[in-house]
Amino acid sequence: MKATGTTAASTKATGRKAAGAIAAAAAAVLALSACGSGGGASAEEAKGEISYWLWDANQLPAYQQCADDFHKANPDITVKITQRGWDDYWSTLTNGFVAGTAPDVFTDHLAKYPEFAKTGQLLALDDAVANDHVDVAQYNKGLADLWVGEDGKRYGLPKDWDTISLFYNKKLAADAGVSEDQMKSLSWNPQDGGTYEKAIAHLTVDKNGKRGDEPGFDKTKVAVYGLGLTGSGSGQGQTEWSYLTGTTGWTHTDKNPWGTHFNYDDPKFQDSIAWFAGLADKGYMPKLETTVGASMADTFAAGKSVINANGSWMIGQYTGYKGVDVGIAPTPTGPDGKRSSMFNGLADSVWAGTKKPAAAVKFAEYLGSAACQDVVASKAVVFPAIKTSSDKAEAAFKAKGVDVTPFTQQVKEDTTFLFPIADKAAKVDGIMKPAMDAVVSGKQPASSLSQANDQVNSLFNK
Amino acid sequence: MTTATSATRSSRFKSSGGSKRRRPFNWRRAGAWVLVILAVAVSVLPFYWVLRTSLSSNSALASNASNLLPADFNLGAYKRVFGLQTAQEAMAEGGSGAKIDFWIYLRNTVLFAGITTAGAVFFSAMAAYAFSRLRWRGRNAVFSLFLATMMVPPIFTALPNFLLIKNLGLLNTLLGMVLPYLFMTPFAIFFLRQFFLNMSREVEEAAMLDGARHLRIFFQIVLPNAAAPIATLALLTFIGQWNEYFWPLLVGNQENVRVLTVGLGVFKSQSPQGAPDWSGLMAATLVSALPVLLLFIAFGKKIVNSIGFSGIK
Repeated sequence: MKATGTTAASTKATGRKAAGAIAAAAAAVLALSACGSGGGASAEEAKGEISYWLWDANQLPAYQQCADDFHKANPDITVKITQRGWDDYWSTLTNGFVAGTAPDVFTDHLAKYPEFAKTGQLLALDDAVANDHVDVAQYNKGLADLWVGEDGKRYGLPKDWDTISLFYNKKLAADAGVSEDQMKSLSWNPQDGGTYEKAIAHLTVDKNGKRGDEPGFDKTKVAVYGLGLTGSGSGQGQTEWSYLTGTTGWTHTDKNPWGTHFNYDDPKFQDSIAWFAGLADKGYMPKLETTVGASMADTFAAGKSVINANGSWMIGQYTGYKGVDVGIAPTPTGPDGKRSSMFNGLADSVWAGTKKPAAAVKFAEYLGSAACQDVVASKAVVFPAIKTSSDKAEAAFKAKGVDVTPFTQQVKEDTTFLFPIADKAAKVDGIMKPAMDAVVSGKQPASSLSQANDQVNSLFNK
Repeated sequence: MTTATSATRSSRFKSSGGSKRRRPFNWRRAGAWVLVILAVAVSVLPFYWVLRTSLSSNSALASNASNLLPADFNLGAYKRVFGLQTAQEAMAEGGSGAKIDFWIYLRNTVLFAGITTAGAVFFSAMAAYAFSRLRWRGRNAVFSLFLATMMVPPIFTALPNFLLIKNLGLLNTLLGMVLPYLFMTPFAIFFLRQFFLNMSREVEEAAMLDGARHLRIFFQIVLPNAAAPIATLALLTFIGQWNEYFWPLLVGNQENVRVLTVGLGVFKSQSPQGAPDWSGLMAATLVSALPVLLLFIAFGKKIVNSIGFSGIK
């Protein structure tokens, strides 16, 4: 669900990247031939076997049940589900667009769909939504609008949403004398970090047992970090820093969606990032290079970090560790006195090249319906996009003993901002990833981001 | 220095008496043993760690990172690999809903590696025969060209090959996967040519006098004599193909033709930032490496012998 793809870089990564590059290059060729292949769906009868792809293995059982239920209600249509991990998902998908073997319906991401829509890979769902009376108001506020492209057409039906919270190790926090109430009422500012930095510093312990805020703390020999790190966050910082920058009044782009001017040169942003990068320098957060190939969640479970900011899709992962008592706290309040979280949503899209558009659209509609999303809710893995199903998921999590209020309260209190959607996302990422890596690893000052910002904005001036 | 050392040696021999002959303690020998033991430990430890991880419960792994013994010992990971566990059971043990269709992937890998090995070795042997035993114009030039292709990184040919296979309509078919490897590899030709060059010509000439032609000489004289290097080449090719990832990923993506390496790759990466099901992954890795390991144990000695024999040292 995260856009930046900062997951473990394996030795196979080069090969996969190459596969992606090849597929992307050839996608341009295909785009010409694929145009107009979809759309003429209405006359075709909805039957046959269709394929559906998703990347999250934890959601596979839920969607398998949706597919089975759908088949029961529509015996003429069979759905074959394929799960492919995030690392391979997008290169295989673009490869499939070129090869003509892409799935009929697939889980789509906000960072990816603008380019797919532009190259004619996605079937517009407007007619189907109108004909079948799909109520787009049933989804949580703003989610359905995210999937209306720059051309005004709808390219996906929302399936789930996610926000950010702080997972923390209850035992280590208690050992440090940081109470649950304190964890839930942290505040932050880019100047001195507020009580958030104080907590992080106090939770950090070096190999001699000295805490980060005690004299004699050795930042070169840290045993437990106050805050974990997944990566630099590239241009979005979804789980890394966007919950902080969002409280300063800063926004990624001039407007969202479809912004054409980025704001990485704003002092508000650069001050926040300078503070964030400074945590590693002070020894309160791991150095960026140590996060390559490592899982922040596993490091957390091993007791090497106390607080981990992460998305709601990670609830199962964090609460699943044996022997680790995990607490969830909302993100800290910022200079504007409020909390903030990026609000991201996934949707199911239909491939324009599908040979069975009627059946594919019907299934996509089913995935976007309360019938399927209630099933997803009952498995307590993610929050479904439909409001009523979302409440059911909250109850299902509660039944499992997990209080997910920190994630849902951001939506209820309207402290979320939407995932930045813009054209040329891959190119923006290509500039921002190395620029942010350099800053977070301490090799460049935050002011260097102004130059990267100029490069990003020049992409839109052409 | 040398004389001094030999002098002490001889005096020690004398003092130890003739009845019990003990070797004198030798620092160099001891050092060598320590190095060997260290080297073995370093190479075996990763395998042990794979085994240890596969026998652990996934949800207990991270909090027991430094324990040498399996964390929360159980065989659930192996059950997952062989499809003996439901998704619910797997998730309860810290696995994921992802499954590995192990037997299908194994079948595909065996077919993929087997067919390409058989094809590549056979055709390469024919080519090597032509390059070493036949005299024809431009032979060396063509051979040089062949050798030069060894320097072209496979990534350069991936796109044209992919488009060709796509245009032939062979995507997601076993044939499409094996075709680029089926006929020959420059290395195999080079390897066998070196061996054929060293074979004596006399038997061949005698056979020719008796009226045998090239095809018969190749099948009845050259091939049987080259059994050892051919076995080596077959084994090396088979292991290489068993581990091949990139091409099967590009061409054989559907589950019915997916090979083990691709299957494991898919299984490894799940939701972004989510930690993989390590114990399941390690169990599957171990099981999928086992056939090759057994092959190597069975034929390892042969390989070493034939490499020595063919003069590639």
